[in-house]
Amino acid sequence: MKIGFNFTLGETLPLVRSLLASGRIDYVELLIDNFLAIPEEELAAGFDVPVGFHIMFSKFIENDAVALDSLASRLRRLIDRMSPLYVSDHVARFTHDGRQLYHLAEIDYAADYGRVRERVDWWQQRLGRRLFLENYPSILDGGHDAPAFFERLCRDTGCGVLFDASNAVCAHLNCGVPLEAWDGIIDAASHFHTAGYNLSILQPHLVLDTHDRALSDATMAFLESRRERFDTPGATMTYERDDNFDELDIASDLDRLRALFADDAVAPPVERAAP
Amino acid sequence: MTVMTQGRAERLIDANLLEALTVPARQGDYPRESRAFVRIDTSLRIYWHTLFDICPGLLELSSPDGLSIFRPFMAWAADEGLSLNWTYYLWVDVWLRRSPFAGRVTPELRLSLIGASAARWATGDRSEAGGIVLSGLDAADLVCGWKARSIDAGRQIERIELEDPLPAAPEPFGFFTVPGGELDGGFPGWTPIPR
Ligand SMILES: [Fe+2]
Repeated sequence: MKIGFNFTLGETLPLVRSLLASGRIDYVELLIDNFLAIPEEELAAGFDVPVGFHIMFSKFIENDAVALDSLASRLRRLIDRMSPLYVSDHVARFTHDGRQLYHLAEIDYAADYGRVRERVDWWQQRLGRRLFLENYPSILDGGHDAPAFFERLCRDTGCGVLFDASNAVCAHLNCGVPLEAWDGIIDAASHFHTAGYNLSILQPHLVLDTHDRALSDATMAFLESRRERFDTPGATMTYERDDNFDELDIASDLDRLRALFADDAVAPPVERAAP
Repeated sequence: MTVMTQGRAERLIDANLLEALTVPARQGDYPRESRAFVRIDTSLRIYWHTLFDICPGLLELSSPDGLSIFRPFMAWAADEGLSLNWTYYLWVDVWLRRSPFAGRVTPELRLSLIGASAARWATGDRSEAGGIVLSGLDAADLVCGWKARSIDAGRQIERIELEDPLPAAPEPFGFFTVPGGELDGGFPGWTPIPR
């Protein structure tokens, strides 16, 4: 299992460099649409390890074709130049009636299927690459439809799933989607995410995908219970952190992941020279 | 809202709440102890933090919880169908100037709102443009937002005072975008900010 860390731009660069230097991560996942004003050469030379491309704000299900065409042509140049390990995007609602949702909403998997399928076909074609689509951290009952939705979408469009293990744990805790419901998707997937989550301020508590703390015991247990399903040749696991950038805390989670997926469970992290 | 029908809870999905996720008053449509209520609360809190964490000066005008600004602004924004895109802070400025707080809105507070919108454009815009220029407090006073141009840098916000003012911008604000990272391409004319 290759272990990676997300980089969204700017202030966490020293942290990412330090995680690379200590051998704790093997690749960097770039929130690629944040980097589009950076000269291509600089971006391509930015890391001497592989990168993953995570597209955050294409809004490819909702956005107009002109804006998406422009975005796709710029992404495509970077894809051709940097050959990322994967190109991923999100199945979620970013707007409603033209109004921006700051906490992304879950789509209606039944009602929206046709539109999403059409858009995935089109967006993959524009990007010239197979897309890996991330599962949403479900809060309400619609989450029960997600596993079958993704299986059908993969069958119909040839896309893959970027399976976020802790998002599945959120959905399990929030609305009882059984973790086993994802087993077919995990078997077919090679690219994974995991992160810490937190409880809502108000009760009854919701489990929110906050990326601001250590992995939960439930997430670790989920990964352990399916270690062989996750860890197949070419598999990647990105540890996401978007707040509370405590390096010791992050390093300890990365070490836990590395130990879990190590061929020989006691292998220490490899020291690598700082770039 | 969870309604019992024929012995089983009715299914509630996220898409059922779309109308309420941006409108504080709609939260009251759901029982306080329901998951829908907390889901809407979670959504609204992000708008709150996006506003008050970035422009804490607003809290000096309002009650310490900010709700005397937040709730009426969000209600007005819903009535007006505002997109709450990068112009969020600019429309807060517009609302404030027509609100009971109008007499206490300082130029510094207004500039923090204008700068916050420029920053939000610079981090969120996905077009080919490299920067945005916003009309500031007057036609000689511009606020620019520049997208990050290096992997170890963030977006930059810059206030520019012109010796020769540009033509007056449309009310409430005008903007134009520039291709690269500098203000050297001349003045293409103002576009009114989107709603
Ligand atoms: Fe994720």
